[in-house]
Amino acid sequence: MTNAIEIHQLHYRAGRAFEIKQLDLNVPLGAIYGFLGPNGSGKTTTMRLVLGLLRPLAGRITVLGDAIPANAPRVLARVGFVPEQPHLDPTLTVRETLAFQAAFYPTWDWPWAERLLRQFELQERQPFGRLSKGQKGKLMMLLALAQRPELLVLDEPTDGLDPVVRRDVLSALLDYVSQRRATVFISSHLVHELERFCDWIGVMDNGRLITEVPMERFKNGLKRLRVTGAPPTAAAAPFIILAREHANGGAETWVVRDWEPEMAAYFATIGAALNDVIDLDLEEGFVELLRTFRGPRS
Amino acid sequence: MFRVMLYSQWKWSRLIVALGSIAAFALPIVSVQGAARADSNPLRAGELLQAVQAWGTLYPVLAAALGLLVAIATWAPDHRGRHVHALSLPLPRWRYVLLRFGAGGTLLAAPVIAVAAGALLATWSATIPAGLQGYPVALAIRFALAVLVAYAVFFAVSAGTARTAGIMLGLIGGVILVQIIAGVANLDLDLFGKLQIVVLNWPGPLAIFSGRWMLIDV
Amino acid sequence: MCSWRWWLPLLAASVRTLAGQEVPRLQARADSLAREWRRANALADMVDSLNHARAAGGTDTISVGALRIVTNPSPARLRQAAARAWPVIDSLYGTEARQLEQRPYLIAPYDPDTTSPKPMLRGAIQVPWDKDVASLVMILLTNVPIGRPDAALQNWLGGPVLPIVHPEPARAAVYVQLVTAPSQAARSCFLGVMSDCRTALALVDSPDPLRQWYPSAAEQRALVFKSFAEFLTFSDHGAHKPALQSCRAGSDSACRELLRSLPPGALPRPLTYDARAALVHLALRLGGREAYHRLVATPGKPIADRLAGAAGVSVDSLVSQWRSEILAARPAPVTVPPWGPWAALGWTAVFAVCALRSSRWRVS
Repeated sequence: MTNAIEIHQLHYRAGRAFEIKQLDLNVPLGAIYGFLGPNGSGKTTTMRLVLGLLRPLAGRITVLGDAIPANAPRVLARVGFVPEQPHLDPTLTVRETLAFQAAFYPTWDWPWAERLLRQFELQERQPFGRLSKGQKGKLMMLLALAQRPELLVLDEPTDGLDPVVRRDVLSALLDYVSQRRATVFISSHLVHELERFCDWIGVMDNGRLITEVPMERFKNGLKRLRVTGAPPTAAAAPFIILAREHANGGAETWVVRDWEPEMAAYFATIGAALNDVIDLDLEEGFVELLRTFRGPRS
Repeated sequence: MFRVMLYSQWKWSRLIVALGSIAAFALPIVSVQGAARADSNPLRAGELLQAVQAWGTLYPVLAAALGLLVAIATWAPDHRGRHVHALSLPLPRWRYVLLRFGAGGTLLAAPVIAVAAGALLATWSATIPAGLQGYPVALAIRFALAVLVAYAVFFAVSAGTARTAGIMLGLIGGVILVQIIAGVANLDLDLFGKLQIVVLNWPGPLAIFSGRWMLIDV
Repeated sequence: MCSWRWWLPLLAASVRTLAGQEVPRLQARADSLAREWRRANALADMVDSLNHARAAGGTDTISVGALRIVTNPSPARLRQAAARAWPVIDSLYGTEARQLEQRPYLIAPYDPDTTSPKPMLRGAIQVPWDKDVASLVMILLTNVPIGRPDAALQNWLGGPVLPIVHPEPARAAVYVQLVTAPSQAARSCFLGVMSDCRTALALVDSPDPLRQWYPSAAEQRALVFKSFAEFLTFSDHGAHKPALQSCRAGSDSACRELLRSLPPGALPRPLTYDARAALVHLALRLGGREAYHRLVATPGKPIADRLAGAAGVSVDSLVSQWRSEILAARPAPVTVPPWGPWAALGWTAVFAVCALRSSRWRVS
């Protein structure tokens, strides 16, 4: 087993408006896989399909070597899940919530749960319904980690949390991952955050996976190029042109993917000059990628 | 697993169960007040039976209300969380549903025991004229079965999705439509009457609710 | 004036002569009149029967045993009903059931679904022709056109002797009466005091029924408030209200006087028609096919003796057997059948499975 999650030709439809079609996705074992996409792109749906909460119309899902949803209970015992919205019983206190969760997971680690409880400074007598958003987020992460999962499926776990809480939560997550070599499948709007620790990236839009590459390759291959003298159509480029914009004085700005330094020679072949190569951060790359996917301007 | 599930449901249902148990305990005792007091005339046996029968109509009402409320409370935490937590737990769905069902059913034991205790106390303390007898155990068993059936019905309804509710409403609407058409066409068709007979007579699903509920009888 | 002096001794002499010689002749004359009366009755029956037959001219006659039904052609299932009713009638009236050959039922079935005029047959029982057989049997059994017994028997019984359609529930109802009637006699009868059974069944003649049936002040008070409170409040423009209040306040004499003020025959017997009918039916069952004949053939005797004569056993034995039958018919107190709990548990399981099959849960 090389992949913690394997999705092959997945097809799912929710109503008439939204559809996931022919989705292929692979999360390598031990990877921290950042799952990016705008709102409504299908990230949460894909995660629910991965956990067996929804039934696909077609396709195959394998998680930790077991088929989903056929073997969902067995898989779920090895998976920690933090959903987008806190969904726990609001009447149970923090302590009671831990006891409830522990009853269902044979691998539950009480000492570590206690340690996280102290670390997150959660009041164990407080009902879940009365916790602040940050406390809820911490508790959800605590529950996911204390069962010592092999795979963590985290659906925007830090969404809406203040920076301090976010740091605490992510730090606990990374601690765990470093100890257990667990796989993490995490979605987030906070692209900068993912940039710091993800080693794989998948981008989804409108129910389709646009790209799925190692983070390094994604980041390094995304460049903004300042070009002069380029013909209107640039044929047979060795890289992918995501965007091409006119700047002052006949210059152009190109946003490209899969860039390698030796590709600079290409511009001489088309009679143009490459003036500058600028690195893009993940967020810029993500935005440009989406713009290209939705309607390339060149 | 069952223990934590039971505890979770207790937190949601405790007020219903507590109030229901008080009502269930009081009902048999109240029903024999007056006509079955120690200083009562034994010639008032008929009045005693009438009083017991009149109060007896409240047992099925209480059973149905308890079944409904506890069934709603059983599903309430899952409905609020849109079932995400329930579905993400590592156990088969049928087992989870049975845990929920069993926990709710276990909580309903409290009002059933309360009815049994109240009925035993009522028959023990009442002056029952010769020829009449107390049936506390039979009444409690019947109450238990009625509560269980009501709980199961509402548990199933509450577990259903909007689509299921739509299908059920559609069926009811269909029956009403057929009845209206039959009425207009002057056809001798009484679907509601037939339905009532099927549902409320043995072995119909709600037959346990129909008939007399007598704590004291001949 | 003078002539009276002569006539009076003559009249006195005549009366003496009559008293001494004419009584046997008058007795014979009375017997002759009775025979004439019976013959006239028989003739009247025959005329009645002929009238029925004439009224139903062009009609069918259904004949099962001695039971005759004159009816107009219709889909009504009268023959099946007659076949079921006849054994019941025959077993009750025995040899007297032969009367029915001369006393047919006159039944006029009509179409319940049309507005056409119903057949007009004088004295006929009108029934919609789609009535089910059980209902028709009930109609036949509650309208048996047999000769009515004497007034004494009817007064005691509270109606004619008719077949009991559902004997077991009827006896169960009597059981409930024995337990719940506001009468100490009925309760003592239930507990096994046979003399009180006779009292409760009104088998003992008494000039003061109130004292006999409801001797205690408690019974009288219970009777006032259970059966007559409303009547006494509003009758005679509320004239009884003060007495009623005194009775309510605890005055035994007021209660007694209220009951004595009731119209003749209004005082209820401790047990109802059903109890006495059960006794009559038992007597007829024990006495065989001639029992009904014996019962109605001795109108002058006390009811207890007539019942004993019909049954062929002593009154005590008859009442004892009646009590045993009534006690054996104790109604089931709980209306759940023995398999009811299993049915309820089965439905519980069915609904639980419905919850399992909810699409919300059917992921795999």
